[in-house]
Amino acid sequence: MIELEQITKQYPGQAMPAVDKLYLSIPKGEICVLVGPSGCGKSTILRMINRMIEPTSGVVKINGQDVTSTNPDQLRMGIGYVIQQIGLLPHRTIAENIAIVPRLYKWPKEKIKQRVDELIVMMGLDLEKTRGKYPSQLSGGQMQRVGVARAMAVDPPIMLMDEPFGAVDPIARTHLQDELLRLQKEIKKTIVFVTHDINEAIKMGDRIAIFNAGQLVQFGTPEEILTNPINEFVEDFIGRDRVVKKLNLYLAEDAMQPIKCLLREDELQNVAQKMKDAGAEVAFLVNETGKASGQISAGDVAEFGMDIEGLRKRARRRSNAFVQTTTPFPDALSLLLEYDADYLGVLKGEELCGVLSFQGIRKHVYRKEGE
Amino acid sequence: MRWENFRFALFEKAPEALLEHSMIVVITITIAILISVPLGVFLSRPKYKKFGLVTLNILNLLQAVPGIAVIALALPILGLGMKPAIVALLFQSLLPIVRNTIAGLLGVSSDVKEAASGMGMSQRRILWEVELPLAIPIILSGIRTATVYVVSIGTLASLIGAGGLGNLIMGGLSLFRPEYLLVGAGLGALMAIFLDRMINYLEYRITPPGMRVE
Amino acid sequence: MTLTDFVNFLVKNSKTIMEYSENHFTLVLLAVGISLLIWVPVGLLLTKSDKWAARVLALANTIFCIPSLSMFAILVTIPMFGLGRKSALLALVLYAMMPLIRSVYDGVKNVDRNVIEAARGMGMSTKRILVEILVPLGMPIIFAGFRITVVMTTGIAAIATYIGERNLGRFIQEGLVRSNTPMMVTGALIISIIAIGLDTILGMIEKRIVPKGLRVSR
Repeated sequence: MIELEQITKQYPGQAMPAVDKLYLSIPKGEICVLVGPSGCGKSTILRMINRMIEPTSGVVKINGQDVTSTNPDQLRMGIGYVIQQIGLLPHRTIAENIAIVPRLYKWPKEKIKQRVDELIVMMGLDLEKTRGKYPSQLSGGQMQRVGVARAMAVDPPIMLMDEPFGAVDPIARTHLQDELLRLQKEIKKTIVFVTHDINEAIKMGDRIAIFNAGQLVQFGTPEEILTNPINEFVEDFIGRDRVVKKLNLYLAEDAMQPIKCLLREDELQNVAQKMKDAGAEVAFLVNETGKASGQISAGDVAEFGMDIEGLRKRARRRSNAFVQTTTPFPDALSLLLEYDADYLGVLKGEELCGVLSFQGIRKHVYRKEGE
Repeated sequence: MRWENFRFALFEKAPEALLEHSMIVVITITIAILISVPLGVFLSRPKYKKFGLVTLNILNLLQAVPGIAVIALALPILGLGMKPAIVALLFQSLLPIVRNTIAGLLGVSSDVKEAASGMGMSQRRILWEVELPLAIPIILSGIRTATVYVVSIGTLASLIGAGGLGNLIMGGLSLFRPEYLLVGAGLGALMAIFLDRMINYLEYRITPPGMRVE
Repeated sequence: MTLTDFVNFLVKNSKTIMEYSENHFTLVLLAVGISLLIWVPVGLLLTKSDKWAARVLALANTIFCIPSLSMFAILVTIPMFGLGRKSALLALVLYAMMPLIRSVYDGVKNVDRNVIEAARGMGMSTKRILVEILVPLGMPIIFAGFRITVVMTTGIAAIATYIGERNLGRFIQEGLVRSNTPMMVTGALIISIIAIGLDTILGMIEKRIVPKGLRVSR
């Protein structure tokens, strides 16, 4: 756990302190995102944790221990540090770059080599091709992977990341974000992550701290912040589309309802009766192999009546109107609009396990909004 | 040290020496600019880049030759007097100007050149209106290096009868008159420092305000 | 003067040439050695303060402007130095100030700030950063300054013959006085060849000294 107690940073010759009497407690094993407009003090705060900047007053504690009780170099060796410009040593190979901190710890050669190889593979880079290359031979995205690998080399419990993906192109950025999230599920580090991009903050953060002009404005989970922005600044900062942004926080399984009516393709003539019996608004069809193959809604039944061929065509048109349990709401909404449907089947792998409706999504978001 | 000697050196000897020295410097640098800048422009054109490298290598070699050796080699080939000295000094003052002209012109961002040609400027116009104005501070810096160099080696030119401040220094050394030494050496140093500062100021003034590094 | 004159002179005076060369090189070696010992640390120190760097570089630049003959002449009038090696050494060390300080300063300042920031963030000590990052990455520029210093010192050292050094410049001096053209030209040629040779060799080393990571690209 990282605690900042009454931290103030006043630069000489500036009227306003860069950081003003800040209290912040960052829980262990979570990604805490510091976000805010440029000049809000977020980078300064990050850099005070590993003493790259010393606060004017106040105490930074890691696991209850004042950071100033450790020699700065020793302290930094035990904390991963990633910056936007990466700062790989251009005259060292990738393997040598990753090995820097293990070398500072005087690990035996064999152990270093093993760890370096492990990290290169872990970051999704080609081991044989990458190891001996120099930074200038890599793309921006690859370099930042090496930057992250280098910070994780001695498996530090804490990682500080200062706009780590800010300089890579959007596609590489999404990849890097996804991979860090995937990795974090296994490694459970305490990560302090600075960004100016609210979308990145919402995506990456277990908790978000929003700063403005050296002050902490709001601190909470992405859901809390999107649901109850504390003031106009936060509202403006997250944007008018905050509810749409919130959709990203939910997955299909969150608002999924049980399936009431399921029938085989050859039972189509009985669909009206079956739905009525089950009290269902939608029925799903399965083919002879047991795979979900389409859907019929109450509206379709009313439209086509006994025109079984018409119903069959309608059902087939929606043969791809299915999502996975882990599909986020925006993707599900996109499918609903694409198929002009009210319902989507929810799959867990191949198996049909629920139904997601427009109304269900609305209710879920509204319930969260009203909390 | 005697005031009498000092006064004699400063008021009787120095004016002529200073004038000769100034002439050597002005003439040499003027000719050097007239040769070097066009040569640099020529060598920076993409077509002639190959010559550029060869020329620069040759000039680099010439530059490594110590000044005193240049003066000594000029005597048997060119004879005694101011003219041979100027020719000798000329050889070595070319390099800094040519090199900086090339560097300055090649240093103009290709984006700017492309934008200019996209607006319909001819190559000649781009050279005059875009490349040269942007490169002039760097060219001037080359001229400054060359000038300081000519002032410095110019003191040795008195060895082959070119006159100048070297006369005072050499006379002072051979007769061991510290007054002559100080006047000659001091004026030489002041002249070099003055010209260095002056051209440096010119560099600053001529740099377009948007490009000045404060 | 023909090639035979030149060769004849070399053969006849081989002993003197050896003596003068020895004097010449001990002076150059001593001057460059002292210069490195003083100016490299000064250059490194100046990277800590922009204000002092500007001041000291301006001073070095001014000293560098002073014609070498003037510098020698001024130094000999100072009783502490006078004619001879002390003055010669001091002048050469003063001239070396500008190329050495400048190149060390530029070389270190040229290193990408982010690389230093990242290294510091990983817990590298200041000393380690200096040895493992600043010096190797700044080396190409620093070495270029060293090369200029060596070649320049070799040339200026010849002028010290006028303040009593018995080195390769003496052939030129005596050749001029006695109107002995072969002697003068030979002296000039020997110095030129040595200077060009040193410049070329150091130039080749300079090319090789660039760390491999800075030479390769995708």
